[in-house]
Amino acid sequence: MTGPPPITVIGIGNPYRHDDAAGLVVLAGLRERFAAEERVRLVELDGEPVRLIQAWQGSDTVLLVDAVRSLQPAGTIHRVAADGLTTATAHGVALGGGHLFGLGEAVDLARALGRLPRTLDVIGIEGADFELGEGLSGPVAHACTLAAQQLAERIEHLLGELSGDT
Amino acid sequence: MTHDHRTRSFKVEALTRVEGEGGLIVEIHDGEVHDVRLRIFEPPRFFEGFLRGRAYTEPPDITARICGICPVAYQMSACQAIEAACGATLDAPLRDLRHLLYCGEWIESHVLHIHLLHAPDFLGYPSGIAMAAGHLAEVERGLRLKQIGNQIVEVVGGRAVHPVNVKLGGFYKAPAIDRMQALARDLQWATDAAEEVARWVAAFPMPDHALPDDTVLVSLRHPTEYPILGERLVSTSGLDIGVDEYLDHFKEEQVQHSTALHGRLLAGGDYLVGPLARFVLNAHHLAPRAAALAAELGLTPAERNPFRSILVRAIETVHACEVASAIASSYTVPVRASVEVLPRAGAGCGWSEAPRGLLWHRYELSADGTIVDARIVPPTSQNQPTIEHDLRHLIEHSLELDDQALEALCEQAVRNYDPCISCSTHFLDMRVVRT
Repeated sequence: MTGPPPITVIGIGNPYRHDDAAGLVVLAGLRERFAAEERVRLVELDGEPVRLIQAWQGSDTVLLVDAVRSLQPAGTIHRVAADGLTTATAHGVALGGGHLFGLGEAVDLARALGRLPRTLDVIGIEGADFELGEGLSGPVAHACTLAAQQLAERIEHLLGELSGDT
Repeated sequence: MTHDHRTRSFKVEALTRVEGEGGLIVEIHDGEVHDVRLRIFEPPRFFEGFLRGRAYTEPPDITARICGICPVAYQMSACQAIEAACGATLDAPLRDLRHLLYCGEWIESHVLHIHLLHAPDFLGYPSGIAMAAGHLAEVERGLRLKQIGNQIVEVVGGRAVHPVNVKLGGFYKAPAIDRMQALARDLQWATDAAEEVARWVAAFPMPDHALPDDTVLVSLRHPTEYPILGERLVSTSGLDIGVDEYLDHFKEEQVQHSTALHGRLLAGGDYLVGPLARFVLNAHHLAPRAAALAAELGLTPAERNPFRSILVRAIETVHACEVASAIASSYTVPVRASVEVLPRAGAGCGWSEAPRGLLWHRYELSADGTIVDARIVPPTSQNQPTIEHDLRHLIEHSLELDDQALEALCEQAVRNYDPCISCSTHFLDMRVVRT
């Protein structure tokens, strides 16, 4: 295959801030199955928005996994399309921790630069503990396993569609 | 915000376009500035406690996670401190690779700050996103330049975010020659582009302001290089010390309104670290094109306007591109990717110039290499008293402004320091109160 892979999966987080690592854990769960798949790019990031935009460059479909803080129970899995990001944050779903500016702004910047992928879906995993330390809290670990399974199925489906296209 | 004839105060609950989160409170009574407090929340420095009991090999990876913007700075200061404790010395080609890696971080950090965090203040936009629409070519040029910084970190550090190729004594694997040659080609474009950025920035309208006269400027110094990796610490007050003498001259204090410690000179007073201090104390060591451009744009070691820090960052970006280009274009694969670093009981200190300023580490090890004690002094906590002092000075000379204009000026002034609250602790929001 030449050119950038059509699918990019981005996991955002800090492994030393407990539940903030959720995005990285989900990404690790996908690595064994898709690491050798050249149509899928797996990227670990810390949430810096310009790196985000540059990481998905060239992909039609971007699936982004990050920890979330809102009033929902820990382990709740949120799904938000790019267009809904601003609405989601306005309703109290704050994506990520002490990042430079939010994911919503990263999407707005990408839109201003004409660099939004055709599909950008955010999978937010509600965290409970963002203090310093390693390891996820129980409900978040369970949600990560579930989210990785669901994402794997989605990626397989997308790959099937791509194979059908060629 | 409140306002009456006697007292004005303002609070900026959430300072935007800074790394992390915190706040600013300003109180003005009867036309006199009574209080300026930069509030920083999150629990301070738990990373130091987190490091105790860990193996001596772990701090480069763990401390890299303190900050998403300057992980290389943390890795380099940590490596140097632990190597000093263990009595290890790096081969010259490996030091060059560290210097190159660090240039990548400077380029990334400075370019991001210039284009998306600070330029909007000077050009009258509420955000980098709003500015992008009106300055698309400049923002695109900045993003490409930043991408080349990323590439340096990726080629030398193994990946663009939180490099995994750095270890005590050097690197796990030396970069491949073809990737370095590709970098060298990109860096030729990057140096030209960085010069264009500096000229663009030099034309920004600049508030007329100067740091308070008693502000001491502090930076590392190297005998032949502009300091990224330095050997001595120097100041405008005549200080010239080695890395082990840091605590003989500097201290950190607890303050009630912030969970970050405040850096002070033991001799009294606060001090500035970062681009302006580096430039003032080391302009004579800038790479040729950066030095010529600084002179052309009127930057001299007499500069004391903190608003011009954005221009210094642009000049330092040119410098980092030139240095990176020289290292990448003359690169040959080193005979070994690392030197052995064996543990021994003792303590060691290390320092380097993070994009925002001096970053000092100290580690104490037991004989088997277990970390007994760790201490990290990041740039933003050193600058915090200076930021407050400078803001007070700025407000005193700007009282004729209405609340909105004064608040905007204060936010712009805080960004002069490119504060990395994540490094000092986390989170920033701002409140202005006039009563």
